[in-house]
Amino acid sequence: ARALHDRKQPYRVADLARMMYDDMLSTADVLRAWRGEGEAHDTATGEDNDDNDDLFQRKESTDNDEEDRLVPRLDYSALETKWAEADNIEAMRHRFANTRLTGANAEDVGDDDDE
Amino acid sequence: MAVPTAPPALKFTGSKHLSQRLVLATLTGKTVRISQIRSSSHTSPGLAPHEVSLLRLLEAVTNGSHIEFSYTGTTVLYKPGLITGSAAGYGAQGGVIRHELPADCRRGVSYFLIPLCLLAPFSKAPINVLFTGPGVVTSSTEAGDVSADTVRTAILPLFRSFGIENNLELRILRRSNIGRDGKGGGGEVQLVFGHQVRLPKTVHLMDAGRVKRIRGVAYSTGVAGANNARLIEAARGVLNEFMPDTYIFSDISPAPFVPAPTKENPAAKRKIGLGFGLSLVAETNTGALYSADVASPPAGGEPPEDIGRKCAYQLLEAIEEGGYVSSVAAPTVLTLMAMGSEDVGRITLGKAVLGLEQVVQLARDLRTFGLSGWGLREDEDEENEVVLSIVGKGISNVGRKIT
Repeated sequence: ARALHDRKQPYRVADLARMMYDDMLSTADVLRAWRGEGEAHDTATGEDNDDNDDLFQRKESTDNDEEDRLVPRLDYSALETKWAEADNIEAMRHRFANTRLTGANAEDVGDDDDE
Repeated sequence: MAVPTAPPALKFTGSKHLSQRLVLATLTGKTVRISQIRSSSHTSPGLAPHEVSLLRLLEAVTNGSHIEFSYTGTTVLYKPGLITGSAAGYGAQGGVIRHELPADCRRGVSYFLIPLCLLAPFSKAPINVLFTGPGVVTSSTEAGDVSADTVRTAILPLFRSFGIENNLELRILRRSNIGRDGKGGGGEVQLVFGHQVRLPKTVHLMDAGRVKRIRGVAYSTGVAGANNARLIEAARGVLNEFMPDTYIFSDISPAPFVPAPTKENPAAKRKIGLGFGLSLVAETNTGALYSADVASPPAGGEPPEDIGRKCAYQLLEAIEEGGYVSSVAAPTVLTLMAMGSEDVGRITLGKAVLGLEQVVQLARDLRTFGLSGWGLREDEDEENEVVLSIVGKGISNVGRKIT
């Protein structure tokens, strides 16, 4: 329970506000710490995380050679499975104004499909 | 300017965030020296063609800019001048600046459009730039640029909330995808930005609202129009589950025919920039916009169904991240907020958007340029959103006559 308690909760706004202007940390470090990926070194899953870190390092070094990008790199096969799950779809519903597929809109859909 | 001793140049390193820094330098009028640009690269050290081109564009829309390169191009000193826009007598012909992009440009035209849009509201005269030449790519690119359609439908409308809304137009005169070896295009794009303000309005973009419609553009350049239908069908297959009001326009155009002189035939021409792609924009009832962009890779080998689906998933991700602006538009909006009048502007951002390296770096760069820091606070209503408050610095438009 203590281990759980000691681990920082990721994505806390106060943490980012504290680290954002700390010039001793690079932006990548700040964000890794904010996501809670940084402080897992001394836990049992240390090895796993080291692997992850290596992966991150390598990715970053190639990223640094490249330019700024606006379109995010995404793992599309993971997304495909993610958006096939009913739970995820349901969780998204509140972000849409009108998601009924019956009623007046259903006909519109049908019409468009015929084209 | 009439300062006896110029303040020392702000120092930056690295090729990342270059355009953002150049824009901030131009807006605040501060000299920057950017060093170690790809200095560790053995194959192509120094500034890349698109970066040189961006510097030339900045020089074209300003008066009195001073740019110095080192021999290797790894260091650049930029002393910005006044943003004059396309005023007559400063290189504009008939009120239009022609900006040619070189054939070895690997970035989409949005790489130039977005910085230009940020400068344009603060210009003395309206901005009217025609991007032409063998390096104009209107589609999205592998390098991570959005398509010109997305700039038109998802970034330009955002200026409306800052009170900048008249005479904004982005004309895509000729489309082009990225060329076969990942560089060059042949398209033509004209940006007309005719609304100049003294200060952008202070905004309070607190409620992202709910998505009410999805629009998009599917484009096929030099390939069969059936690709568009396949793109649209695949994207709708994913999105119909959520949003019945989805309409995707289809634009089919021939590939640009650009001169490719060889030794035997100096008048030879060839077609470049074949391909297809999709740009999607979701609009909420409060006017927030989320966008997604995927285009066919220059090597080919991806069916339009895959591209369409990818684009739809990307859009869903952007919607899920939440906040009033997506990661594509966040730097633009945040910069405009920092330039606003001396009042607190607020905006909600998804935590994933705020947690982007580019956004955090923008916060630091803004501070380096003497602009104010950001205030962060949890959003009470939405758990994955953050309320960001930015105090504008009241950097007024020096060029514009006070009316």
